Amino acid sequence: MKFQLLAAAALAVGAAGAADAHGPTRQKTEQTIEINAAPDKVWAVVGNFQDMSWHPAIQKTEGSGGNDKGATRKLTLQGGGVIEEELNTFDAAKMMYSYRITNVDVKVLPVSNYSSKITVKDAGGKSQVVWDGAFYRGFPNNDPPPELSDEAAKKAVDGVYKAGLEALKKKIEGGS
Amino acid sequence: MKALVALAAFGLVLAGGACADEAFVTNQSSDDLSVLDLAAGQPVATIPIGGRPAGVAVSTDGARAYVTSPEGKTLSIVDTAARKVLAQISVAGGPLGVAVHPSGKPVYVADWYNHKIHVVDPDSKSVTADIQVGLSPSGLAVTPDGKTLLSADRDSNEVSVVDVATQKRTARIKVGDRPFGVTIDAKGERAYVANVGTNNVSVIDLAKRETVATVPVDERPYAVALVAGKAFVTNQYANSVSVFDLTSFAKITDIPVGDYPEGIEASTDGASVYVSNWFANTLSKIDVATLKVVKDIPTGDGPRAFGTFIRKTP
Repeated sequence: MKFQLLAAAALAVGAAGAADAHGPTRQKTEQTIEINAAPDKVWAVVGNFQDMSWHPAIQKTEGSGGNDKGATRKLTLQGGGVIEEELNTFDAAKMMYSYRITNVDVKVLPVSNYSSKITVKDAGGKSQVVWDGAFYRGFPNNDPPPELSDEAAKKAVDGVYKAGLEALKKKIEGGS
Repeated sequence: MKALVALAAFGLVLAGGACADEAFVTNQSSDDLSVLDLAAGQPVATIPIGGRPAGVAVSTDGARAYVTSPEGKTLSIVDTAARKVLAQISVAGGPLGVAVHPSGKPVYVADWYNHKIHVVDPDSKSVTADIQVGLSPSGLAVTPDGKTLLSADRDSNEVSVVDVATQKRTARIKVGDRPFGVTIDAKGERAYVANVGTNNVSVIDLAKRETVATVPVDERPYAVALVAGKAFVTNQYANSVSVFDLTSFAKITDIPVGDYPEGIEASTDGASVYVSNWFANTLSKIDVATLKVVKDIPTGDGPRAFGTFIRKTP
């Protein structure tokens, strides 16, 4: 109990005092999937920052700024909880965009300073979708509790990516 | 005669190879240190470190590399020629930034959780003093005359000026938000600090003890290299290196590099700048004359190379 209170206090300080405070080791992950469809067809589904309905965990996407640098979106998750994000780069010719999380509760996703990139590549007429993530764990100091460790952060992000990519494949291949 | 010329050329090549630069790149994800032969453009050794190594400082004579492991809470002393760890010293908190005094000792280690700098004697392998600075000290640098230590205090938005002789903070200089890497010029006149939060570089006049210019760069700058009258700044989120003129502070260009560029340093001959790309697992070589990437050398996983990581081999 005491520990939980302390941890909560530490988190509150982290959130209020320094939005960018983070652990010492940035984590990286990359998930890919091959989709049996032309790249432009896949891009037509994922290549809109204002519509993340292709991901099964997302109930609603609200935002502004379209696909311009600095555009924002608020994702409402199926089980409640929100994630706020900002578009960093958008390159339709390269079928790539990168964005970052500007606000998320570590209970929703146990990460901080999260940034990500989605790319659709040509794979001999088919498509390869590559989803990269870079982030720190949810706990801003050393010696994190297990639920806010490096491993917990990576596991959570991998889960989001895998579920999204598999749903994307199913949606596109099922619809063709 | 012809044979003699050929032989002489061969001798030159050998000599050139023997005193080439080497890079000691901390790979945080693979928990080791890559040794890269920069003339050959390839890795030549991998030294296991542990504890998620991040910071690195090569001694002026090139004989030692000091490596911080913030998760393992250690400072490793590496014999650069023998490619081995001589000792691992326990340090408190979260050791990250590291710098070596130009004389070879002591070694300064920034503890970004306990807001102080640990002074480490590499001979006795012990912490001999702690210097109180601002919040979350990150990058460290010592002036060439060895008299002054600078600490970029990330969560205070300040740079601390520490007197080496008394081991006390003597000044605090306001910079941009979230200062991280700090680099001092060869004359010891100015320091350049990358501000992660405000996407710019603060230029500090060390005699005046104040920020004299603020130069915009791109998203999430990490560290600065200085060579040929130019600053080279890694932009983590823009996957580029911004170059600006050190006299006019005018931007010259942005050079695309690998994903998440972090540590950056000029070669000892000043002809190249090397950039560690954390996500891409490469070290990019930028030609200072053409301002283009001319080579990418593979590293281990998650290269950060935060600090001074290049040595000239004897």
